[in-house]
Amino acid sequence: MTFKFKYEDVTKKPNPMVKINPLKRGSGKTVSLQDRVDTLNKSAAWKKTIKAWTTQGKQFDLTRLPKVSMEKLGSIEIDEDIQRALDDKHCANRIADPDLFDPALLQTAQCIKTSEGKFISIDSQHTVSTVAALIDAGLVPNNTDWREFQFPFQYIETDNLAYARRAFSILNGKGKKKQSAYQQMRNSIFIVRIDKDKSDQEDVDLEKKVSIAEKYECFPVESDSDLAKYPGTFTNIATFKTLSDDEVTQSCEWHNKYFHYENVHVSLFFVFRDLCRQFGSAKIKLTPKLQEELAAMVQSCFGNLSQFQESVTEAHRRWTVQRYGYQAAWDDDAYACALIQLYQHFGGKEKVAPTLLDHFDGLIEFFDQDILNLAE
Amino acid sequence: MYHFYLIESLGGRAGFGIAQDFKERNKQYCSHAGGIVNMHVYSGLRAHAKALERTIKTQYIDNLWIIEDWKTEWLNDDIPMSTLKEYVDNLIKERHFRLQLISSNYNFQQELP
Repeated sequence: MTFKFKYEDVTKKPNPMVKINPLKRGSGKTVSLQDRVDTLNKSAAWKKTIKAWTTQGKQFDLTRLPKVSMEKLGSIEIDEDIQRALDDKHCANRIADPDLFDPALLQTAQCIKTSEGKFISIDSQHTVSTVAALIDAGLVPNNTDWREFQFPFQYIETDNLAYARRAFSILNGKGKKKQSAYQQMRNSIFIVRIDKDKSDQEDVDLEKKVSIAEKYECFPVESDSDLAKYPGTFTNIATFKTLSDDEVTQSCEWHNKYFHYENVHVSLFFVFRDLCRQFGSAKIKLTPKLQEELAAMVQSCFGNLSQFQESVTEAHRRWTVQRYGYQAAWDDDAYACALIQLYQHFGGKEKVAPTLLDHFDGLIEFFDQDILNLAE
Repeated sequence: MYHFYLIESLGGRAGFGIAQDFKERNKQYCSHAGGIVNMHVYSGLRAHAKALERTIKTQYIDNLWIIEDWKTEWLNDDIPMSTLKEYVDNLIKERHFRLQLISSNYNFQQELP
């Protein structure tokens, strides 16, 4: 049986992302606060909130604004029922990392101040503990007693511990807009590309990975970005970051060679991660012929990887129901296994990693019949 | 066999979709519209029909008719059926989708061979 499919070329058109990729360089733009006020004033959600304030007769209570002052570290108490246990590794490896530590980046001590004048920490115990311990270690010039060390405190005056507990939740995530994976990655990229700062190896490594992807016209974008309509874009940053440089190269090169007209589907990263690792362990080469035949099969049977993903998910569901009597949770390892098993089903002759044939044994029998019939 | 179709509303708006039973789908459109609406019907692999539909949704995202926050499978007023049909025919040709036009101006009153 000869292999059933031949990859058919798709004319490559210039990808607009090459020019408009926002990670290529920063916008170099700053805007005034007025710009943001104008944005809110036009927002339907904002108008609704302002209407609710008016209806409820709610007004901004100026006396509740947080206060800021320099206070002695010795005046702070940590309520263990409010704050988490101290994470010594966080203090040692993140805050006090000698390669990264910078006092200018320390956050103020967030506290409540009781009517007895006590400062109770509601956030930043790791910061103040680190500073106190650095003084204790004799590493802060002209300061020998951390209790007397003056540090910026931000506090709210209250005796209400329930308020403190709620404030801790808000400061630690609940109620705070978190940075998306894309925004975090963008910061790392700009630190290296715009600020030319290579002091953090994680930033440098991530920038390298993104550069490899960009070389093959694959571009990370925010999940709800208008740019996600362009070919080569992808939004699953978390999976992308788990790939080695070689896996990024192999996957993005394959995408750009055969599916340059499509978005990058996240299954691409799972497929190539597993192909590279399993073939590597078996010391089998992922040959150009195999790569082209896999592309031909995806193109002919599914149209693209997105539809391959839909089909393999459904096949996996049927397979687990048949084998175990219930629908087991999806397993990302099934992508590469299904692809290689289908490859052999359709007469593929290139050598493949045997582990990919054993795992999910018989999975391909559960693909739609119209796809399996293409072997005839 | 699965189907991709293009449909024109009685008001002239161009739309698209996928269906296993396109005759039944056409009846539903006619019932809602209160009149006969015609379809261009393409037939082929289910995965290819879905891939084509997804491509249109991605590439035409700025031209989908939106009802409040709901992105429908209809296009904005200024895009005629002829433009959409030409675009779809080109996509099928350029991307080698295994889909074939089996009927133009189809409605449920017609019997296909």
